Amino acid sequence: MKYLPYLLKHLRRNWFRTTLTVLAMAMCIFLFCTLQSVLAQINALLDSTSAKRLVVRNSVSIVFDVPLAYGARIQSVPGVERVAISNWFGGSLPAKKEGKSDPGSESSTTDWSNFFNNLAVEMEPFLAMYPEYQVPPDQYRALMADQRGCVIGRKLANKFGWKIGDTFFLESFIPVHRKADGPFEFVVRAIFDVDPVKYSATDQNMMLFHQKYLYEATGRTLQAGTYYVEIKNPDQAGQVSAAIDKLFENSDAQTRTETEKAFAAGFIAMAGNLALLLNGIGVAVAFTILLVVANTMSIAVRERRKEIGVLKTLGFTSGQVMGLVVAESLLIGLIGGALGIAGSRTIMFLLTHAPGLKDMLAGIGLSELPLRPMVAAIGFGVAIVLGFAAGFVPALSAYRARITDMLRTV
Amino acid sequence: MAMVDVRNVTKVYRKDAEELVVLNGLSLQVNEGDYAALMGPSGSGKSTLLNLIAGIDKPTSGDVVVAGTNVAQLGETQLAAFRSHNVGFIFQFYNLIPVLSATENVELPLLLTHLSKAQRRERALTALKVVGLADRASHYPRQLSGGQEQRVAIARAIVTDPKVLVADEPTGDLDAKSATEILDLLGTLNQDFKKTIVMVTHDPRAAERAKTQHHLEKGVLKD
Repeated sequence: MKYLPYLLKHLRRNWFRTTLTVLAMAMCIFLFCTLQSVLAQINALLDSTSAKRLVVRNSVSIVFDVPLAYGARIQSVPGVERVAISNWFGGSLPAKKEGKSDPGSESSTTDWSNFFNNLAVEMEPFLAMYPEYQVPPDQYRALMADQRGCVIGRKLANKFGWKIGDTFFLESFIPVHRKADGPFEFVVRAIFDVDPVKYSATDQNMMLFHQKYLYEATGRTLQAGTYYVEIKNPDQAGQVSAAIDKLFENSDAQTRTETEKAFAAGFIAMAGNLALLLNGIGVAVAFTILLVVANTMSIAVRERRKEIGVLKTLGFTSGQVMGLVVAESLLIGLIGGALGIAGSRTIMFLLTHAPGLKDMLAGIGLSELPLRPMVAAIGFGVAIVLGFAAGFVPALSAYRARITDMLRTV
Repeated sequence: MAMVDVRNVTKVYRKDAEELVVLNGLSLQVNEGDYAALMGPSGSGKSTLLNLIAGIDKPTSGDVVVAGTNVAQLGETQLAAFRSHNVGFIFQFYNLIPVLSATENVELPLLLTHLSKAQRRERALTALKVVGLADRASHYPRQLSGGQEQRVAIARAIVTDPKVLVADEPTGDLDAKSATEILDLLGTLNQDFKKTIVMVTHDPRAAERAKTQHHLEKGVLKD
């Protein structure tokens, strides 16, 4: 500790260079923490899926439907507990929020900034296979009794201030999910809660409504987007999936059945190999910063050759001098790391709270982007390793240098 | 009793296949409390000899015994400890650390001791008082004149109370008035504080202040 003031004074010697180096380090750790937090949150979302649930979709693409007649046949497959139709509605609030006043007048303009995930489902079997969603019995009964009724997550309710009995309008951007007389009207009949410990990553910024409502309002021509299937034994997921797909292999609409986790991962993978991309960016940035800091430390040591000679003359051992150089570099790493972590935490807070952005993120299940302690700890560790590695080579040259050579430096 | 005893020392620098003999079988004794001046033309080996006495370089052959320790036989870490305990080095160009104040510069060698912060500060201020710069304690090197900088460098050299002070042309970068002040100070350290001083100088007036003078030429002591 007694060397700390000495180190700080040296860092202040060329404050502009030090500031830039610290900022470079901070940027590196900021990117690392932010990217890893996004990855961690996505992984948590994937982990929140159940191994007992399968998703059946059209084998060509998720954008193609599956015939409604498939439901009963899937139910007949051995090992299947229950089946629920699901259509991703893609609905947004009309520009005039909630649209309570006049649903028709503003229907052509949607408010994308307030987008949230909404699904038309066969309510009874769907909720039965999702024990995560805790709905009070009286609200459940009211929900089942009202075709326009919907159930929303607690966070979504809090976000818009919606209470039981409130109505709002949604209009889909998908043509077959629109009806001629304007947006769909929904009544909040239930609000679900989630066990924060058991199902911490479950999305609560979402809404479920009756598939029958969508089906009837759109002229009874709508097919199923996907089928959610609950199986009796998670260990039989492979066999059951294969059996379902075998049922339809000679039909016009062949199916692809996979676990809910694989389905969700495939959805995310539509953006490419996200983990590889984000980790690749992180490694590239870290390596670049290593070179930047190492270069800075090399310059700093070269500029101070004479001083290093003086320190050794005064009785500092080569090891102590090396330690001072490494400590200076470590200090840059520590300050940069702390700034980077603080910056990451701040930016993720802003992203998940900024109007517009927060809703976009919520739409893909990232309503929260917490900086996990483990990510912050690893980020700090990376900063320390980078600081040490960057200072080591210049420190080694200071260690090896002879006093008389150092003192002769002009 | 000899505080510095240089016995048959040879120093050879090698560069590729070429050998440069800087000191050639040189022997020299400086007694405790002595004030010795080493003189000679450039390249005669004065500074090399001083570096050997100060323990910042090692001879190719021969012995350099300073304060009872044979410097030639010490390892790198032992040499560092030897320097911090026994030798105060005064450079021609002061070599103060620019980002540190006068007090902090003087305090620097004390960081190697177990003294507390307050004790270090007290000793540094005492050393600055000895060289007459107590009122410049918080000044930085850029705020001091050349003579004042050299006095801070002398305070740094004496703050650990070393047995030997080695000075490499301490007045070489100073005007006449400042040079006189520095020589007066060195004289005081020798007379009043009983420091053994070995000083390299080109300046005959500086050499006159010393009690003994030694002349080197081509690595050999002439008298």
